[in-house]
Amino acid sequence: MALLSPLAGLGRFAAFAAAVLVRLLRGGWSLQAVIRDLYTITTRCLLPVIAVTLPLGMVIALQGLKIFAIFGAQRMLPGLVTVAVLRELSPVLASVLVAAQGGSSCAAELGAMKIKEELDATEVMAVDPITVHVVPRFLAITLACPLLNIVGSAAGILGAFVTAVWLKGEQAGVFLAELWIRTTPIDVWAGSFKTTVFGLLIGWTACYMGTRATGGAEGVGRAVNDTVVYACTGFIVVNYALSSALFGTAGG
Amino acid sequence: MRSALANIGRFAFFVARFLRAALRQPPPEGKTLQQAWSIGIRSLPILLIIGAFVGTNLSIQGYAAFHPLGGERMVGMFVALAGIRELAPIIAAAMVAAKAGTEMASQVAVMRIKEQIDALEVMAVDPLWYLITPRLLGILLVMPALTILSTSVMVTAAYLVAVYQLGLSGPDFIEFARQGLAPLDLFWCNLKALLYGMVICMVACFCGYFSGPGPKGVGQATNAAVVTSAVLVVVLNYFISELAYG
Repeated sequence: MALLSPLAGLGRFAAFAAAVLVRLLRGGWSLQAVIRDLYTITTRCLLPVIAVTLPLGMVIALQGLKIFAIFGAQRMLPGLVTVAVLRELSPVLASVLVAAQGGSSCAAELGAMKIKEELDATEVMAVDPITVHVVPRFLAITLACPLLNIVGSAAGILGAFVTAVWLKGEQAGVFLAELWIRTTPIDVWAGSFKTTVFGLLIGWTACYMGTRATGGAEGVGRAVNDTVVYACTGFIVVNYALSSALFGTAGG
Repeated sequence: MRSALANIGRFAFFVARFLRAALRQPPPEGKTLQQAWSIGIRSLPILLIIGAFVGTNLSIQGYAAFHPLGGERMVGMFVALAGIRELAPIIAAAMVAAKAGTEMASQVAVMRIKEQIDALEVMAVDPLWYLITPRLLGILLVMPALTILSTSVMVTAAYLVAVYQLGLSGPDFIEFARQGLAPLDLFWCNLKALLYGMVICMVACFCGYFSGPGPKGVGQATNAAVVTSAVLVVVLNYFISELAYG
């Protein structure tokens, strides 16, 4: 039984994910609601994403310069920065923050609606709660991840530039030229592709946890907590598979 | 903008009030170890899973970064430096914030909306002392252990990927990792973890303590706790790294 209950949970999650996709394809959801949710999520995540990726870009430059200084190759730094920021750090951190801010607030909203039986009320009025309440939030989260990743990547590279050029006195021209040469289209597309997949996972997890909340205010708190934890674990595991597939043994 | 400033001020008062209460009397009996246990045991599985998969990706991207320069052997050093100096403490903090931090925030918030905090005050028990001291001590007790465990899992996973997936030489990996590290790095790594633990605990309890009414308020408090502590940890990280390695 101890082994079976996580499996049962996984099955319920898969059924829910499929139900959301079916409602999505069937239509009937309001585009306006998607845009409204997307606006809320992106504006609320914008500052946290910048506040996290900018200092991390600065730290990468700080540590990278120390490694490259061993060979006197400080000008190689942008190569490391683009790989680290565009491929891994910005996608992962932007998604962590979307999970922590957008995903959890979405789970809290749906959870509160579930607890107050608003979802059941919707159903009683012969309106499908998944189409009306879940699909717009799911789509908004999925779209917010790649959008915020673009901002996060830019902020991360800006952070590295600030540390390398302004604080450590590297040449701005060399940094930008190297950055331009070392950044490949695959770096940019990999980030967007990965974050879209992460966004799907976060959207599913948040809506699943929210619509299954039980037991009053504590239940909503638990749903929010579970959303952040399961969404982050899920996409970091998937991240390994994606990175292996995209950059695995061919060396990028 | 003004409300953000007001919150910073309120947070400062909150911390000051807590410190005054906590220094005046010993922590409530029998609660600290219980908190340490529940924080540690709840955060451990997710921390290990995430640590392992961050390690695998460190190897893959380190290889991608150094391969064009013919420096595949440097992957070991890259993993050791990036992993132990920066990522292990940050990842441990982020996961403790996501798991234990959100739990603290929602527990305290639920106590607030059920008026249990007011009840404590009525019984002449200082709620800040009673609720936060055991949580703070508990998180400080487990953070170094959690960080060391996640570091070991991270480096092991990175080693496995480097050797079995990317076909690099194992002894080279270990040799370069050892060259890149100094014992002092472990000290900074644990110091970071302790500081982040403190930040997470205070922010989570602050968000829970001033939670809005109803289930929505609890959700928002929990939400604010994760985001605020994650941002604070990363910003703080830059300053500590600049101080330690700058």
